[in-house]
Order: sequence, then C-alpha cells, then structure tokens
Amino acid sequence: MKSWRMLGVLAVAGGLAVAGCGGGSSNSSNASSSAPGSGGGTSSSSTNLTGAGSTLVAPLMSKWESDYSSKHGVTVTYGAIGSGGGISQITARTVDFGASDAPLTPDQAKAAKGVLQIPWALAATDIAYNVQGVGNGLKLTGPVLADIYLGKITSWNDPQIAKLNPGMNLPSTKITPIYRSDGSGDTYALTDYLSKVSPEWKSKVGTSTQVSFPTGVGGKGNDGVGGALAKTDGSIAYVAISYVLANKFTYADIQNAAGNYPTPDIKSISAAAAALKSVPADNKVSIVDPPASAPDAYPISTFTYALVPQQSKNAAGLKAFLTYAIGDGQQFAGSLEFAPLPKQILRADKSTIAKITTG
Amino acid sequence: MSGAAPTSAPVGVDAAGPALATSRSLRDRLGAPVFYALTALASVASVVLVGALAYKVFAQAGPAISHSGLAFVWHSAWNPVTNVYGAADFIFGTAVTSVLALLVAAPLSIAIALYLTELAPRALRTPIGTLVEMLAAIPSVVVGLWGILVLGPFLQSTLEPALHSAFGFIPLFGGDPSQVGLLPAVIVLTIMTVPIVSSITREIFATCPGELKEGALALGATRWEMVRAVMLPYARQGIVGAIILGLGRAVGEAIAVTQVIGGTAGIHASLFAGGDTLASRIASQYQGATSNLQIASIAYLAAILLVIALVANAIARAIVGGARARPAGAI
Repeated sequence: MKSWRMLGVLAVAGGLAVAGCGGGSSNSSNASSSAPGSGGGTSSSSTNLTGAGSTLVAPLMSKWESDYSSKHGVTVTYGAIGSGGGISQITARTVDFGASDAPLTPDQAKAAKGVLQIPWALAATDIAYNVQGVGNGLKLTGPVLADIYLGKITSWNDPQIAKLNPGMNLPSTKITPIYRSDGSGDTYALTDYLSKVSPEWKSKVGTSTQVSFPTGVGGKGNDGVGGALAKTDGSIAYVAISYVLANKFTYADIQNAAGNYPTPDIKSISAAAAALKSVPADNKVSIVDPPASAPDAYPISTFTYALVPQQSKNAAGLKAFLTYAIGDGQQFAGSLEFAPLPKQILRADKSTIAKITTG
Repeated sequence: MSGAAPTSAPVGVDAAGPALATSRSLRDRLGAPVFYALTALASVASVVLVGALAYKVFAQAGPAISHSGLAFVWHSAWNPVTNVYGAADFIFGTAVTSVLALLVAAPLSIAIALYLTELAPRALRTPIGTLVEMLAAIPSVVVGLWGILVLGPFLQSTLEPALHSAFGFIPLFGGDPSQVGLLPAVIVLTIMTVPIVSSITREIFATCPGELKEGALALGATRWEMVRAVMLPYARQGIVGAIILGLGRAVGEAIAVTQVIGGTAGIHASLFAGGDTLASRIASQYQGATSNLQIASIAYLAAILLVIALVANAIARAIVGGARARPAGAI
C-alpha cells in the first residue's frame, strides 16, 4: 500500500514538473529566445500601453503619461530601465513600445524582427564635472574629452585642459571619469561623438550602448552616475541634459566643428538637428559632431527613438499615442530642454507611423 | 472477546465486536495520505526546481560555451562592441572580495560566538544574540546604500589615505583612495556574512559537552585555556563548515556589491581600485545586453557562479552535518 501511495505522489509531482518545464520552454521559444525578460505577452487591452527603455526621455514621458491619460483616457506605463533594456524588451515583445537613444544595430534589427524606429524627442548629453575650485564654463574639445576617457589625461591641471581655459585656476586633482555601467543611450551618444573626433577611441573602444571603458568608475542609471559625480571630487561624467539641469550640476562647454563653444540648450540642439541633410529609410540619424556649416550647433546632441513593432495587437492605440507624442506632446519638450523636432523628421515620423498595422 | 470489551463503548461503534472503530470518518481516512502527499510534493518540487534552474542557466549559456569553450574562464576581457567576453576579471573579483571578507568575518564571528556562549552575562546573551542576527535581516540594498552614502566617503577621506601612508609599499594598499572599489565591497560582504557564521558557530559551541569544559576548568585551566584546548578543537569542523556557508553567501551577493564596487573591468593589485564580481556584473549588465552572445556570456557567468555556490554549500553541509551528528561526550 505504502509503495503505491509513493508511486502516485511521485507520478503527480513528475507530471506537474514536466508540464511546467514543457510549458516554460515552449513559451520562451515563441518569444525570441535570444532576449532576456520572460515572454509574458503584451497587454492586449486597448486602453493601456506599456513601454520601457531610455532614461533620457523619461522626464518627458512622465509628462506625456499624465497629459495623455487625462485627455484620451489611455494609461501609459513606462519603465525607465535604460536604452539597452528597452531594446531587449521590445525584441521579446514584453512591452508595446520601447524607447532607445541608440538606433538599432543591424544585428539588433534582425533579432527584433520588424521593429520600426521613430525619433520622437531631441536632446543632448552634457558633460558634467565636479571639481573643487572650478566653477561653471569649463571648455573642452572632443579629442581632449576622448583622451580623458581613454585615461591619457589624468589630472585637471593637464596642459591640454589648461590651454583651453587660460583664465581658470585648475587644481592638480586626479580626474575620475564616470560612465554608465548599464546599457545606455547616453553612452551611445558619447561614444558616437568620440568615435567621430578621435580615431584612437574608434579603434580602441567603439560605439555602442554598452562599451568597455578603459578607465574610470561605473554607475547604474543617470541617478547612479549623478550620485557618484556629486560625491567624488575631480570627477567627470556624461549625463542627460534634463538630469544635469534638474540637479544643477556644473557642465562643460564642448567645442564644435566650427570652433565655437555653444552652451547646450534648445537653440544649440536645434542647430545641430537643422544640419541634418536627409532622413534615411530606417530613420537612423546621427547628429553628433555636426559639420562646421552649423556654427551654433552643440556637438553631442542626440535623437531618441520610439521602437514599435510594425505589426501589433495594439496598433490603433500605438498610432494614437505616437501621433500625440510628436504632435501635442511636444509642448512639454521646451521646459525639459528637449528641442522641437525639425520638419524633415516630423515628415518621416508621420509616414513611419502610418506603416503600423494590426497583427 | 466480548468479555474484554470496555464497559463504555464509543457512540456509533458496534459493541458486539472488538471495540476498534470500524468506520472512521472521511477526514481521518483521507487526512493521512493527503498530508503525506502534500509534504512529499513540496519536497520533490524543491528538488525539481533546483534541477530545472540549473538546466535553464546552462541552456542559456549554451551559445557562449560553444563559442568560447573553457578558455572563457581565464580570459580577461569584457567588450560588448567587439563581442569578446571572458570571466577572469570577475572570478578574480569574486575570489578576492569573498576570501578577504571571510578572513575578517571568521575571527569576528568566532569571537562573537564565544562571547555569547561563554563570557556574556546570561541576561545579555539573548538581546545581543538577537541584534547580531538582525544584521542578517537588513536588506542587501540598504547595506549597499549605506555603503555608498557613508562607507565610501569615509574610506576615501579617512581610512584609505591612512592605510596608504602606513602600508603604501604593499601593492595591496598602493592605489589612490577612492569611494568605490574592492575595499568597500569587502567591508560590505563582511557585514553580511558575520551573522551567518556567528549563529552557526554559536550553535556548535552550545553542543560542546559541559563535562569536558568543567573538567578542564577543574584541572586548573584558565577560561582562555579551556576555550583553546577544549572548545575550539571540538568545534573546529563545524566552524570550517560555517565559514564555507558564509562563503557561499558572500560569493552570491549582487546588489550591495554592485553599488560599491565601481563596475570596472581589469585585474589590479590594489584594494582601492575598482573591480567587479560575477554576481555584480550579471546584475548590472543583464537587462541592457545588446547581442545574443553577450546574453549567453552573462548566462555563462551565472553558470560559473552557480557551480561555485552549490559546491561551497554542499561542502559546508557535509562538514557541518558531520560535526552536529557527533554524539555528546565523543572526543
């Protein structure tokens, strides 16, 4: 009798386990098996949208969320987990839309299978620093910044920095470069810019949302980096502009290709975007290091993209939200230091949004 | 038979036959088998869960294992741009932080256990013991936050310069003082392993037979001589097991370590320099991983970590189990 009972229990337990494992593995093979984040399926309710990704667009997104829900009754839930996370989540289709400051690489686009990228905000990545005795308005050039992050310039009173800032009294403090340890669009913007101005950076480090920095200290998220910056004397970091302004960090003026040092603000960001000649079919645009024909352009400006599947159960809801975001939603952009989207981008966005179908 | 029947038979029972209940209620008949089944199910489910988890981790790591092979373990690189990955930096970081943390935590825990079992006034034993165990109850993320806000600045401004000026000739203390790095990670891990090691050690010391202790004291040994000659040799096996259990905890700690270790790659000799551990790298990079190979490599790190943690735990259980099973009075 006892052995029958035992057998029965083991059979039931084994059956449950196999069913659980089998169900789990078939679930994960439905969603792209390359992506983290378990396949839970997108929300099929037409009144709610979920999104995840870039922390750069997060302040603007929270304004959109409250305004959109009051005007249209649709709740948008957004998780600011970093651009890399946004790309992974939309690849796994665990959210309705992703948000990334970096356009998809060819490999990512292939893995994501039919995801459209729609530039929906225009901002800048500032270079903030915290050096005792050095106030606002430090001037740096692209190559000098690259050398700092490569670890070739190690102290603040290095002759290359002093040459650019003749009036400033620079201490001999060691420079601690701070970078994002998670996948970040700000990292993409900075590395894209440094790859353009420094061939050594391009060959040694490259451009990506997550790179292997030769030196320095990592922080998780804009807040992790901001926290490290605030507490480390002699540190330098790259942070989203809205974050810098909200926390009143001191930031540097970076020399552009025309030789000027524009303050990062709406005017200089718009100038960088205006230098854009044409928009390619996949909407992948890069406006870092604009040419000298744009004398007032801030060199580390970046678009941030919405990533939406071309076929989605929630197509109507997505199209409505995206149209709002590039239309009425832009009214909140100015106060958060996002520049208005240039006309050619708006045109490209509208035609891309029209491509979204239900499926 | 009827002569042996009790005079007051239970209600509903046939008084003519043996007075054992012939019709038990449904609850009685089902209760025992169901109880057996539920508890067996829970145990089997846990075993299946461990197996399924290990299987899934290794399955996810598959592409990286076939791409890099075993050389991954001693290759020192982590470059998402060129897609070259290796675990050496993180195995080094994990080894250094965990071993150093235990080197500090072990004597501390033994001292705490000795104090609580032998030396403390009886009234104090429970409160102090409870407070030490409360250290284990503090969430890791809170310890990490304390590490960023309090420990880091303190180390950078006070402790590290002092160590540097006193022992700067040793490469271990040779770097520049910094708020993040291996040293804050070691301290944070020490704080997290002391409660575990000390509570197990305390338990082991409590099983030390009183006759042996009293005998030593009666022969004229001082308190310390008694501890050294009787208690420590008796408890040695159990203490080793407790330390290895603490090692398992230290190796797996992710959040608190990520916050204070600085997330830098590379192997440096100095404790002040940044580094990264297996658990911390997995925690910080998994969500934003950009390519399939990166995800598989992170899973490969997880597989290595899983193996280390399970082996440490298994060894500890074997040793501690052996120590506990020893009957009282055996030498």
